Amino acid sequence: MSAILDAAQAPYLFLILFGFLPSEVWRFVSGFIAHGIDENSQIFVWVRSVATCLLAGVVAKLLLSPSGALALVPLAARFGALAAGGLAFLAFRRSVMTAVIVGETALIGAAYYFIA
Amino acid sequence: MTVAVESAAPTPEPPLQMGGLTRFEWTVEGARQAIIGPAWLVAFALTGVGGLAREAGFPFWAAVASTLLIWAGPAQVLFFGSVAAGVAPAAIAFSICVSSMRLLPMCLSLLPLLRGRRTNLMTLILASHFVAVTVWTESMRRVHDVPRDARMAFYFGFAHVCILVTAALTGLGYVLMGDLPKPLGAGLLFLSPIYFITALTRNAREAMDWLAIAFGLALAPVAEQFAPRGFDLLLIGVGGGTAAYLIGRKLKAGREARA
Repeated sequence: MSAILDAAQAPYLFLILFGFLPSEVWRFVSGFIAHGIDENSQIFVWVRSVATCLLAGVVAKLLLSPSGALALVPLAARFGALAAGGLAFLAFRRSVMTAVIVGETALIGAAYYFIA
Repeated sequence: MTVAVESAAPTPEPPLQMGGLTRFEWTVEGARQAIIGPAWLVAFALTGVGGLAREAGFPFWAAVASTLLIWAGPAQVLFFGSVAAGVAPAAIAFSICVSSMRLLPMCLSLLPLLRGRRTNLMTLILASHFVAVTVWTESMRRVHDVPRDARMAFYFGFAHVCILVTAALTGLGYVLMGDLPKPLGAGLLFLSPIYFITALTRNAREAMDWLAIAFGLALAPVAEQFAPRGFDLLLIGVGGGTAAYLIGRKLKAGREARA
């Protein structure tokens, strides 16, 4: 592959072939399917449920087996910071920004305590 | 097909419902709503991708291009992480394909909401490119306040600002890699989970949504143990999501029967 390619272009081609296309195929396919879905159909409701559940699973995974510096913060502190954000969310008129700021403050505080 | 009619037409095509604003004004409104909050959340969450790209030996613009093209944090992390680890290209493509499968239910639950009466297939496919967690959660809620025929314009304004700000910060992350104190690095990595879960909670409207969130959180540790590598999220989503859907429907039917 590299023989026919300029070295400067290789990373971009690699990115498109092995990163972009395998990911984009799902969006492309869904465009076709969505063209025919009625937003009041039960399939649409079910799909929303699947997407919501999947995303909650992503959150749990990110906290259970984190990467990089987040892994240096103990599990209890990670979930504690999440809970702090959740409480702030409920206390301050369901504001996402408030929850993020409080949760982040709690986590970064814990990180300074446990890492530094 | 419109036919020229003189008197009171039986079915004239109704005018587009834009709520008194032009299409351009709706695009600007979408852009405004993104820049005052959500765009920065996803952008900061993806600064780490820039650093990963640099570690994997990619040039600056490839890091930026990965955000513009892939536009899915987990897939980008997987891509640069795998390249750095020397994983075979075919295996990288496969794992990214599996990880991005979650985009399908997101697209399928959002695109029908965006579709106006004159939206064609090409526009839907173009719109699908911008679907990722932030754009999905925010749009699912916000488009309900936008008139039907203005939704696509609003969405494109919103989504473009999100992706462009994020691409810029991916580049910034590339340049600044390694200079960040570890606790702040941990904070950046914590941004996605805390934001995703609060956004999901805010979007939850009925029992089904709450159940889906609870099942997703609860099933994750179980699936991590027993599901084949890479397929755990898929099992969580389809299994937990279907259960939430069925129970939610039953609860709803019961409430309607009592009413």
